[in-house]
Amino acid sequence: MLHYHPGHSLGDANCIRRLNITNGENAGWAERKKWEELFHRLSYPFPTLMVDRVEEVEREKKIKAIKWITANEFYLAGHFPGQPIVPGVLTLEGMIQSALILVGESFSRGKIGGYLQKVDRVRFKRAIIPGDWVEFLVSLTGKEGDLWTFKGKAQVDEETAAEAILVLKVMIREVGFEL
Amino acid sequence: MMESREIQSILPHRYPFLLVDRILEIEPGKRGMGIKNLTGGEWFFQGQRTYPPTLLLESLAQVGGIVLGSKAREENPRGQFVGLFAGVSDFQFQRYPVMGEVITLKVVATQSLASLYRFAAEVLVGGEKIASGQILLSFVQNPSEEPGRRPAEKK
Repeated sequence: MLHYHPGHSLGDANCIRRLNITNGENAGWAERKKWEELFHRLSYPFPTLMVDRVEEVEREKKIKAIKWITANEFYLAGHFPGQPIVPGVLTLEGMIQSALILVGESFSRGKIGGYLQKVDRVRFKRAIIPGDWVEFLVSLTGKEGDLWTFKGKAQVDEETAAEAILVLKVMIREVGFEL
Repeated sequence: MMESREIQSILPHRYPFLLVDRILEIEPGKRGMGIKNLTGGEWFFQGQRTYPPTLLLESLAQVGGIVLGSKAREENPRGQFVGLFAGVSDFQFQRYPVMGEVITLKVVATQSLASLYRFAAEVLVGGEKIASGQILLSFVQNPSEEPGRRPAEKK
């Protein structure tokens, strides 16, 4: 069954088809909960998940995640008073977290840690404001030992809002059981 | 030295996104050194005790904004200006700062091209360098538009 959330302004049929929401009422919430748990297992130091939904994920390849922006987000109160613009660094955070989710999805067992070692070629190109929804497109471009390199892009209405190259150090902290 | 009140007269940032506490040394338009205290009550220390690396970048950018903003103030005390974070290049984290530390944020202007300013940036804790790289700010004096306003939608 396909459950459509009226709050998530997904006008065209394509968008709806791409989301795999199948178990009725609490599906959206349950899915977010799942990514949140995955994110916390990676023990990356940010208090909240900056991603609302993962649309596509391909192990060790790429991920597409989405975040909705609303005027009600607490950090917009100070950035800037009376003129809300999503801080560029939080867009960067969204790309990093998408990369971390991709890392988490690439291992089916054990406890993984992701450490942001380096950011390069970060460009903030367009302001993101309440009412937008941001797509994070992140793909793995290289692996050298425990260093994973990603290319990330944040898009609003098919227009690039930010891009970055990220290098994560992926640590297997505990060899565990199947998750 | 510049205290928080003066910082807030230059930067438009407010809680919860004002991420520099004091400027210890400044040469307007050239270089600056600021500090941020990391204390337990801050919003990002919910359930963990590390200063997020993305916010560390923002702290450095804010010091850069003060360096450029204080220069603009010197030239024209009543003038308007707008600074925005434009990018980061080759920034490496040796380790992340943690709760209870005082971080020293150093920026030195290295290059400017039109409205883009490049800074060499460094983060120190007790003299130990924990992160460094380059940050890019875009800075416009007497802007004709409000900051962050998107160009008119294409029709």
